[in-house]
Amino acid sequence: MNAAISARLAEVTMETLERLAYIFAAPAPEAPAAAGSPLETVRVDFTGRFTGGMELALSASVLAELAANMLGAEEGTTLSADEQRDALRELANVVCGNLLPAIAGSEHEFNIHTPYLASADGPEWKDPAGLSHLVLENGVCRVRMRVDGGLPRELAATPRTAAEQG
Amino acid sequence: MAINILIVDDSGVMRSMVQKAMQLSGLAIGEVHQASNGQEGLTALEAHWIDLVIADINMPVMNGEEMIERMQAQPELKAIPTIVISTEGSRSRIERLQKIGVRFIHKPFSPEMIRDTLKDILGSEVFHERSH
Repeated sequence: MNAAISARLAEVTMETLERLAYIFAAPAPEAPAAAGSPLETVRVDFTGRFTGGMELALSASVLAELAANMLGAEEGTTLSADEQRDALRELANVVCGNLLPAIAGSEHEFNIHTPYLASADGPEWKDPAGLSHLVLENGVCRVRMRVDGGLPRELAATPRTAAEQG
Repeated sequence: MAINILIVDDSGVMRSMVQKAMQLSGLAIGEVHQASNGQEGLTALEAHWIDLVIADINMPVMNGEEMIERMQAQPELKAIPTIVISTEGSRSRIERLQKIGVRFIHKPFSPEMIRDTLKDILGSEVFHERSH
């Protein structure tokens, strides 16, 4: 596992949650207890300078808040399960879109595929390139990145710092 | 004068977010049409009078860049002001779009970013007086 990628995963996810949905998160050194709420998992695949996928798993207890904040719904409004899952897919899309240039730089083009909900019995990602856990007020979040065939040598050897990303 | 808008994004939540941000901007909005990919966007452009196109890039069936390229090939669609709202991080792709006059807003966006870009390309006269 690449520590720099894990750090970028945490940074980009925290920033996106805050800017997209006004949800604040903090990094956790290891998997926190899920507080009884199951995780809803979404995956998004990408191709480009390197190929792989990103997975974002969020406590189901946070989904209503996520969707309501993204849509600016009035207090007391209950959004449908479809809207909540669409919000989760869009969150993953935005995290992935911001993560790739944070890792590879802005000189490379990536194509990000449509995010999809991952089933519990879907294929397990072994040996992810990066993994981060976050704690939220009402739940937890886990983000992982898979790189098929490994990172290009120049990226694996010289991880970008937050300062280099601008 | 009210502006007819076409919002093209494969996420219904994002289409709603964009529409809400545009309403908050004070823009005089006429009809709002939505499409979930570039192909549907082109179909909507043929069926309706559209004054402004808002599009994502990464979408299934036809992405936003291809949709804009096809708009450029049609004289009656070429001049429609177009804003891309996307997570796109590739400098070369953004520059390709900017060269043909497309404005770019990065996701996640703020309502102020939408308002300022709209005022820049459409002018203040299509905004309600209360907008600031």
